[in-house]
This record gives sequence, structure tokens and C-alpha cells, in this order.
Amino acid sequence: MEMRKRIGIVFFGVAVALVALAIRLVWVQFVMGEELRQKAYATRFRNIEVKAKRGIIYDAKGRPLAISVSTDSFYAIPAEVKRSKREKEIAEQVSKVLGLDQEKILELITKRQAFVWIQRHTPEEKAKALKSLTLPATKEFRETKGLPGIKYVEEPERFYPKGKLLANVLGFAGIDNQGLEGIEKTYDKVLSGISGTIMVEFDNKGQEIPDALQKYIPPQDGNSIYLTIDETIQYIVERELDEIMKLRNPKKAGAIVMDPQTGRILAMAMRNTFDPNDYSNYEQSNRRNSLISDAYEPGSTFKTVTMSGALDEGIVKLTDRFYCGGFIQVGNRKVRCWKSSHGSQSFIEGVQNSCNPVFITVGLREGVDVFYRYLEGFGFGKKTGIELPGEFTGILVSKKLAKEADIYLATMAMGQANAVTPLQLVTACAAMANEGKLMKPQIVQEIRDREGNLVKTIEPEVVRQVIAPETARQVMSILESVVSEGTGKNAYLEGYRVGGKTGTAQKVIPGGRYSTSEYIGSFLGVAPVNDPRMVCLVVVDSPQGVYYGGQVAAPAFKNIMRDGLRYLQVQAQINPEKITGNKQKTRELPSLLGMDISKAIKVLSNYKLKAEVVGKGTTVKAQLPLAGTKVVEDSKVVLYSSIPAKGAEPETVVVPDFTGKNMAEVKELAGMLNLNFEIQGSGEVVRQEPEPGKQIPLGSKISIYMESRVEDALQPIGP
Amino acid sequence: MKFMRLSKIAKSLDYVLLGVVVLILVMGFFVLQSATVNASAKYNVNFVLRQAVWAGIGLGAFCCVLLVDYSKVSKYGVPIYALNILLLVATLIYGVETKGSQAWIPIGSFRFQPAEVVKVLLILGLGQFLVPRVGKLNTFKDLIPVFIYVAIPLGLILLQPDLGTGLVYVAIMFGMLLAAGASPLLLSLLIGGGIGSVSVAVFGHYAWGWWLPLKNYQLNRLIAFIDPMLDPLEAGWNVIQSQIAVGSGGLWGKGWGMGSQNINNFLPEQWTDFIFCVLAEEWGFIGAVLLLGLFFILIYRGIRIARKAKDTYGALIAVGVISMIVFHVMQNIGMTIGLMPITGIPLPLVSYGGSSLLANMIALGLLMNVYVYHDERLF
Repeated sequence: MEMRKRIGIVFFGVAVALVALAIRLVWVQFVMGEELRQKAYATRFRNIEVKAKRGIIYDAKGRPLAISVSTDSFYAIPAEVKRSKREKEIAEQVSKVLGLDQEKILELITKRQAFVWIQRHTPEEKAKALKSLTLPATKEFRETKGLPGIKYVEEPERFYPKGKLLANVLGFAGIDNQGLEGIEKTYDKVLSGISGTIMVEFDNKGQEIPDALQKYIPPQDGNSIYLTIDETIQYIVERELDEIMKLRNPKKAGAIVMDPQTGRILAMAMRNTFDPNDYSNYEQSNRRNSLISDAYEPGSTFKTVTMSGALDEGIVKLTDRFYCGGFIQVGNRKVRCWKSSHGSQSFIEGVQNSCNPVFITVGLREGVDVFYRYLEGFGFGKKTGIELPGEFTGILVSKKLAKEADIYLATMAMGQANAVTPLQLVTACAAMANEGKLMKPQIVQEIRDREGNLVKTIEPEVVRQVIAPETARQVMSILESVVSEGTGKNAYLEGYRVGGKTGTAQKVIPGGRYSTSEYIGSFLGVAPVNDPRMVCLVVVDSPQGVYYGGQVAAPAFKNIMRDGLRYLQVQAQINPEKITGNKQKTRELPSLLGMDISKAIKVLSNYKLKAEVVGKGTTVKAQLPLAGTKVVEDSKVVLYSSIPAKGAEPETVVVPDFTGKNMAEVKELAGMLNLNFEIQGSGEVVRQEPEPGKQIPLGSKISIYMESRVEDALQPIGP
Repeated sequence: MKFMRLSKIAKSLDYVLLGVVVLILVMGFFVLQSATVNASAKYNVNFVLRQAVWAGIGLGAFCCVLLVDYSKVSKYGVPIYALNILLLVATLIYGVETKGSQAWIPIGSFRFQPAEVVKVLLILGLGQFLVPRVGKLNTFKDLIPVFIYVAIPLGLILLQPDLGTGLVYVAIMFGMLLAAGASPLLLSLLIGGGIGSVSVAVFGHYAWGWWLPLKNYQLNRLIAFIDPMLDPLEAGWNVIQSQIAVGSGGLWGKGWGMGSQNINNFLPEQWTDFIFCVLAEEWGFIGAVLLLGLFFILIYRGIRIARKAKDTYGALIAVGVISMIVFHVMQNIGMTIGLMPITGIPLPLVSYGGSSLLANMIALGLLMNVYVYHDERLF
């Protein structure tokens, strides 16, 4: 039958249609399936990030320096705003409370996005006001009352309770709680923790479903960091820097205090600085930590390095004699000393005088290889590895270049030509104060979790033994004499044995030449020299007016040491009368000059003092500390046995140049040469009789005329 | 006597067909339960219970339809057609508007959708109209009276407007025309021409601003069918969300009551027009193919009945019912998987809705009726 055939055609058509459906079904469910599954997931969940609380940064004593506080951040769900059909009214209310532009708010809250931030970290008052508006009276009035679609979330925000204190080291964390500079940056991973998520299931209308599936992954709060910084010492340092800024109006100033025995940084501060709570309103340059990121030619403070190498190699002895005629010829160039002439002087005097010809001679004696060995040994030219971002290696004159002409070594020996970071210099000096052991500078000492459980302790790390312990002790003694008798007397601190070295360097200006008007004055020192607790460098960049390190930096150094040592409860040693309840007895050191070594040792032992003999002579030609110094029992006295200079007759002596020396230096020099003297005036020697260079019998009397003057000076190079 | 007749009817039923219908109904209840979890709470209505009641009423109607031999109805072609027109006009006058179309007449606390019943009446009427024309439908000219016959109820339903149901009328017409001997080529040309001219008209509307007899939302649905991402939050929403639901179901589905697209109301009308999405999402490919398979058996049995019919009228009725069901299934499932533009017509026996269920049960009753009375010797 015809009909049946046609029905067969109908069935065929129907079957084709159903098969088409099935094929399409396979396509959608299997080929497109995975993608659509993800889409289903994405439409269903809205992830709300729950920021972890950033770990706290404490100082060494557990005083908080950076904390996290919770503030409210406001956001909008534009779909909900639009559904209420009150967009304009909502925008008006929100803008009124937050004090933002109404048009912009309207644009923001009606954006075709699932989620927009309106304002993050809203100030408390405003947040409170807006929060009260957002709350709908009841669920039924959600659309007509309150601010539908306007919501808030608690977000942790970084707060630095001490404001600018330690800002250049701490750095800061940005709006998303991410560390952007300083410790915040290097320790970002430790501090930031792991953000949590609330995955909230939303329905079609963007509303949370009452019994919705919620996945909550709680945030893991960041760990806390304990710095090596001591807030009190930091405060002292910053106070002193502020004082320098006020008095000298320099471009920049900075200071580092390090515990030489561990390499731990106790304080580190820069001026200018910034307030990390308001970092965006400060120049980028204010946020820079120049103490690690910028190198400078340190000048005379660097002579400590030259000296350490030479003493360690035995190339020079304290008693070696030098002559300064106000300049020294290096190759075809004349390098001037900062003073017209220092005349004949021992090495130790050369250091006290910061005499350029002495250091150039010593440096040249060391030679390029030895000099570089110590340069690199002390860590110059390489990052110290401190855990702060942006550390600079500094720039050393290449060894190859140094070998081409002596002038390079000569200038390097007196602290120019090489550019080093203040941190490198402090670290090197700390090695001298730490029996020659170079420590890695350390800024973080502990990591603890939120509950205070120890996560990690960072132990002091010895990098290498740079110089022998004996050499290191010698260097300490010399530096002490620089403060007590030499150019560093502005750093002299009653009651403590302070060693140090001034530095005044010409600034290198763009183009590589030395500026004739801008200097960097600095002071590098240690206290107490017999048991070093603090090494400190104060650097003042381009002060107005006086620029000598001894003038602009030494007073701050002295104050930092004075308050710092007192804070560390290091007892004053030299002036026993100022110390109450001090069990250690102090003695006034007698003059041992001219005694037999063995007798001198006996005398010292009667005083309950230790002796260290330098040289192979039989009689004491010089002593450190000098006669009359008050010393604590059990401390060490260095006896020098081999002087005077070669060729001099034992009965006669060449009159030295006392010019520029202070009282103590005159005493020592005269004492060493067995000369009597008579002083008029005070300050530094300006004139003497007889003239320097004359042969006079031992024990003769010299008349000395003294006047106050500015000590120390720059080291001009070349003609 | 009466009992004898009833037992004869019962003996001559196509139990496979009946079984499949019951299975689809039961499957529908389960899907509906899950699809109305939120809606039940929101409207405080037990949709499944209501649907079950309607299924009971539908089964009653199914049985009632069996009592009278369909061939006795053929005399009433004109009154049936008149009733059709009357129902549709009444809808336009007394109907209440819901979701943009005036398709419902409220009767007491229930609402009745005459267009659903008209579908069944149209099959009866059109069958009677076609019987004398069988084998004489070779030219376009021959088809014109049939078009006019369908055009009047179609025009009335488009006035509601209810494009989906209108298309069902057209599908019924084409199916029955095919069975009545109209050239398949001619019919294909007509369908192709229809789709083609709609495409040109829509293109012309956008390119040159032609006027179209379509409402904006209908036009948007067409555009969304072509590229749902043009307007993913408005017109494209249904297309995207339903495909996500179906596609994310995978082989085994997410489990009954676990479909996130369903539970979180991302699906529009998930208990009526988009109920297949719920099925595919929660029961996966297995569930979807199971339902398709049941429909296939249903249709196959329908075709078998058409071939066994004692007369042309019976065969035409059977084909009409099959055409209606196939078009519903094709259109409803097709739109959820991006094969058809979105048009709101229910999935037979599964979608929630009393009128639709009742109409489908009556239509299936007619189909069964054709089978029961195919052997005249019995009665």
C-alpha cells in the first residue's frame, strides 16, 4: 500500500531527527563537556580572597615595628546594584560618605563586571558611616532600602607604628599586602602567608544561596620576623642623624651600627627617609637605602683596610718610621698630603695623623696582589649578602689596571679610587674588631609563627678569617690611639675605650672627576676596643660648611656610642670614679719607657696587667696604651721594643715634626724619642723649637706652641 | 456487554506503547522533583504532586478516548474545526497574559491553555480534511487549501503570540501532508524556502531595516541562536546556560538533585521548557539517551500503528500525533543543545504543565485508539 510506504518515509525523517539530536548530545556532553563543566563551575562560584594577615616585624627585643591591622574595603556587585534600579541614588549616597566623585562611582558600580572595588582600606570613620548605610532593614527590603550591591570585606592593612623609624630597612608593603621594598620585600614570602579563599556558591541573581555549598580555605597568616635591629639603638642613631641634618644640612646622611662579634646589624638609618604608612607621598630617592645600594669613595676610613693588610703581612711595623714632606711622588705624579708636612713619624703616628704619604708608601710596599688579597678578603667588590633588596657590589679598580701604574694603588691605599658601600666598610671594620673574622652582615635573626613558635633561627655566619687575631688587636689599639690622640678625638668618649678613623673624601661627580666643593665626611669606629660591642659608621654626604669627617660625623658617632654602650650596659672602664659598684679595679698605667722588656712585664704583672711584646729589642721603646691611661685589670699592654729609626745615633735624635699633633701625640712621640718638652697653648702644635730635622741629644727639651684648629682634611690627589 | 467491550479494548492495547508512556511519565516525575526544589519552596507548591494529579486526569482522558472508535469522529470535521477557532478566539478574548503571551484562560483556580487541546483537535480535523485529498497533492496548487485550513488557527495562535505552538501546527501539517502523499521534494522545498526567507528577512532587518512581524525578544532569540555570546547576559543567557548544564553533565551526570545549574537557578524555567537540561545535567548522557530511547520506542510504536491502521484517516491521525510529539521533542531538546533557536514549547510528558500533559495524553489516547480499533472484527 502506497500509504505504508509514505509512513515509512515519515519514520525515516523522524529517525534522522532523533539521531541528529543524539549526535549533538554526544558533541555537547563529551566534546564540549570539559569546557562546559568548567563554565558551570565558574558561573556557580565566586571566589572571595581572604587575605592572610601579614606577619609582624619585631626588633631584636620583640618590639613591633610593622604590624597588620584590619580595615574595611568596599566593593560593589554591579548586577545587584542594577537590579535595584536605584543606581543613581546609591552612587550619590556612596560618594557623599566617601567623598568621591559621584559620576565615577556611578560608572564603577554599574560596570559590566561581576565585582568592582569602590575603595580599599577606607578610613574608619567613613567605613563606619557607609557600613551603617549598606545594612538593609530586613531581607524583604533588600531592594528598596540600604545600598543593594554595595558590600565590604575586612582586609588587613600594613601599619608601621613607629612611623619613619627604620623605614629604609623595613621598606613597605603595598595595598595588596605585598612587600615592595626593604625587609618587606626580601621576606615577602615569609611575611605574607597564604591567602585563603571563600568560594561562595551564587545563584543566577548573584545572591548567596542560603544553604549554598561553601568552600572555605582559611588563610595562613604570615610568620613574624625578629630583626637584629635594636629599636633603642636605632632610635639613638636616627636622633643623631636628625641632628646632623639640622646642623650641617647635608644632601644625605646615614649610619650603620653592627655587633662585630656576630655581624648583626643593630641599627641602620638613612636621611632622607620616608613614612612607610604614607609611602606614595615620598620621592623614590627617599625610600632608597643608600647604605647598601650606593657606593662612595670612602677616603681615610678606608686606611684601616690598607693598614690591616700591611700589618698582617708584616710589611710594616708600628715603629717603622716615615717621613712626610707634605707630598709623595708616585710615578710622575705628586700626591699631596692633607697637611703641608708631617715630617718624620712612626707608622702609628702616621695613622694618627691620617698621613697620606705614609699610607701610600705602605700600600705600594704591599703591592697590588697583597693589597687586593686583603681588599677581597674584607669583602669589597662583592655583595655582603645581607638580606635586603638592592645591594650593590661597589666598584673596584680592576687589578689589571692597578698593575699598570702605581698611582692606582697609591690612591686606593688612602681610600680613593675604589667605591664601596657603607655596609661593606662597616663589615670590614667589624672583622678587625672581631679578631680578624669577617662575619656576614645579618639583619634577621629569627622567624616565628603567629603563636610564637620558633620556625627558624639565623645563626651568625663566619665568612672567613681575613687577618690574624693579633693583627686585629693591633689595629684596634691603633684605632684607639687615633681617637685618644689623633684625628679622631672628637669621637673620644669619656669612660670608654673607643677606636676609630675619620674620613673626608672628595665626592666623585658625574663625569668621573672629583668635586671641589662637595665632600663626604665620615667616621668609622669601634667601642670598646678590648671587647668590641659596636662598630659604627656615620656618613655625611655633602654637608654645608664644615665637611671634615671629624667635625660632621665624629660627634654623632660619639653620641651613638655613648648612649648605645650605656644601653647595652657596657660598663665604662677608664674612669672608675664614674662607675659605682664596679668590681674591676683600674690602674693608672705607669711609663715603662726605657725599661728592660722583662722588667716591664714584671711591673705590668704587679699591676695585674698582661703584656704583649712587639719587636725583638730588649728595652721598651714605646707602649700602648700610653702612660697615665687608666686601665682595667687584666687588660693588655703592648710593648714595642725596636726603635728608633735606623741610622740614628743612640745618643742623639732627629727632631721630629710635631706640627699638627695634639697633646697626647706630642707626649707619646716625645716619650718614644726620650725628649723632654714644654707646651704653651692648647689644641694642635703649630710651631716648635728646635726645628724638625735637627740632631739633638737625647733628653733635650723642645718648646711646643699649640693652637686650636680644625683637624683632618681631605686627601687631594695629584697635582 | 459493556464489560465485554472494555475487556476487548484492554486485550487489544499496545502495551509496549503504554509502558513506554508510563516510564516517561515516571522519569519525568523524578526530574521534576529535582527541578522544582527551589520553586517548590518559593511558591509553596508541590509541583510533582500536581503533575501526578494531572497525569491521573490525563490517563483518565486517555482511557475515555479509547471508548469510542476514532472513525466515528470523521463525520464531525466541520464542528471540530469550528471548535478550534472558537477556543483560540476565546483565548484572545478571555486569556490572561503571562510572560508576554496571552495563552491562558483561567477556570477557577486552574489555568487552561486551549492551544494545547487545539493541537489534538487540529490532528482530528486536518485528518478528516486530508482523507479525500490523499494522492492528489502533487502540486503546490493542490496544497493551498490545506495551507488555508491550517493558516486560520495558526494566525490566531500567532496573535497571542505563541510562535512555538504555531510551529507545532505547521509541523503536524507537514507530517500529515507527507503521509497523505504530498511530494517529499515539494515539502522539503517549502520548509527550506521558509527557513531561507526567514533568514533573509532577519538579515534584511539588520542590514536595511526591513520591518518584521516579530517581537524584539523573538528576534533576539534568533540572533542568540546564531551567536549566544553577542549578549550573554540577556538573549544569549538561556542558550549558554542550558548548554552549560547539558554539557557539564558528562556521561553519568552530577547526580539527582546535584546539578548546580539547576539548583542555583542558572537555568531558566527549568521545570517547564528547560527540564531536559536538568535531566542531562543530573543524569548525564545515560539519562538523556534513556529518555531519547523511550521516545524513539514511542515513536516507533506510533509508526507501527499508523501502518496498521484500518483506514487512511487512522493512519493520518497516527502520523499527526507522531509529528506533534517528534517536533516537540526535537524542538525542546534541540534548543537546549544549540541545535534549534529558543522557542518555548514543553517536552511531552516530562515538562511541568497540566494542559500540555492532558493534551499529550489525549493525543496518545488517539494513537492507541487507532491501534485498538485497527482490527474491525473485534468490535
